[in-house]
Amino acid sequence: MKTVKLAAIAALILPATAMVAIAAAPADVIKARQDNFKIMGKAMKGTMDEFKLPSPNPAVVKANANALAAAAVKVKGGFPKGTGAETGVKTDALPVIWQKPADFKAADAKMAAAAKAFQAAANTGDLAKMQAAAGAVGQTCKGCHDTFRKPRS
Amino acid sequence: MSDAPDVAGDATRSIALWDLPVRLVHWSFVVLMPALWWTAEKGNIKLHVTIGLIMLGLVLFRLVWGLVGSSTARFAGFVRGPASIRAYIASARAGTAEHVVGHNPLGALSVLGLLGLLTLQVGLGTIAQDTDAVASGPLNHLVSYDTAVAASKAHELVFNLILALIVLHIAAILFYRFVKQEKLVAAMITGRKWVPAGITAPRMAPLWRGLVVAVIAAVVAVWISWGVPPWGARWPWDKPPPVEGLSEDSYM
Ligand code: HEC
Ligand code: HEM
Repeated sequence: MKTVKLAAIAALILPATAMVAIAAAPADVIKARQDNFKIMGKAMKGTMDEFKLPSPNPAVVKANANALAAAAVKVKGGFPKGTGAETGVKTDALPVIWQKPADFKAADAKMAAAAKAFQAAANTGDLAKMQAAAGAVGQTCKGCHDTFRKPRS
Repeated sequence: MSDAPDVAGDATRSIALWDLPVRLVHWSFVVLMPALWWTAEKGNIKLHVTIGLIMLGLVLFRLVWGLVGSSTARFAGFVRGPASIRAYIASARAGTAEHVVGHNPLGALSVLGLLGLLTLQVGLGTIAQDTDAVASGPLNHLVSYDTAVAASKAHELVFNLILALIVLHIAAILFYRFVKQEKLVAAMITGRKWVPAGITAPRMAPLWRGLVVAVIAAVVAVWISWGVPPWGARWPWDKPPPVEGLSEDSYM
């Protein structure tokens, strides 16, 4: 009797929660990718700030490079179809992402490679190399944003 | 630019109204504003920051000149309280307003508003950053990521407020030109104005004083462009120390 009751309740609740999960999915995906980008933005800022210091600490640059590289590989999964502005969720992702998926993937791959190269440069502890590699990463961020992200204003 | 009297009838002589620094700063604003808008629009933040720092120097100059400049440039000379402004509006409506040399109490509000917003705008710009946090203002390193994001948003908002004030400013100039028959633009170019007899001419500050203030403003602007060393940034002539082999324990 008890198990039947439980089963009945479960039968009622489970589909309901599943439906909620599906409905919330695009917003969650968008939030997750934006949070991931924020981590990358913070890592970039942390790196640039360090370079301005009288004596930049290579360990700080390295920590930022690691954080950046870890987040960089997660950009890929963040843009499934149906997570654009049409969801009504606030996002700067432009429709062109899904119209030119190959270009978008290429831009992403470029950035991921640059982030990896930066991580390698950070491991050398050579400031000039780190600076050049970080600058190269910045170019790939801008390259993608210029085409695939809605400009502000 | 014509020296023809612009005050109907009783104008008898031409006086120096706006000094050279005020005019130079004013027309520089006119040139730099579109340049700043255009470079930001095109995403050329590096050039935008360079021009922005020139703007910052000019704003700084104008603020100091508002304390030590010619009488028509000084805030103390034209800033009035709400009561005086109300009285001025009433007398202007009635057509009994006295002739004002320099900014009238109402126009002073527009000057204050524009200068205030410009000051805010250049201040926000120094800590703003592009979305990827790669291109940023020279003082961006002094604030957190979240503060920088908020400042960038405010920088965008204040720009729109400035645009609104500029539109109002130009509307007022057109009103003077076509309704009150006063050529304000010509006066801002030549610095001179025809006035009725009995009006005391404003006191002009010597040019050397303008030069001193200009040098101070330029030095401060350049220092800001370096990131205000030694706070979080190094002097341009200080090379970062070479980093030799790192010990393992310096890593986190
Ligand atoms: C493959 C394209 C691509 C690359 C490469 C890329 N971005 Fe982005 N970025 C985007 C898109 C698209 C958005 C908008 C996401 C949204 O609003 O849903 C974005 C948004 C952001 C945001 C704003 C997040 C928020 O909403 O708060 C930051 C910060 C950011 N990116 C930083 C970076 C940095 C730093 C790099 C380089 C290390 C980078 N991005 C590389 C496409 C890219
Ligand atoms: C009166 C002077 C200024 C005006 C009118 C102005 C205007 C603008 C505008 C319209 C934008 C684009 C905002 C957007 O839509 O994203 C912008 C961005 C920016 N400005 Fe300025 N600016 C001024 C001064 C400065 C100064 C002095 C600096 C730095 C020293 C600066 C640094 C920046 C930076 C880093 C950005 C990029 C941030 C972003 O993308 O939002 N600006 N500015």
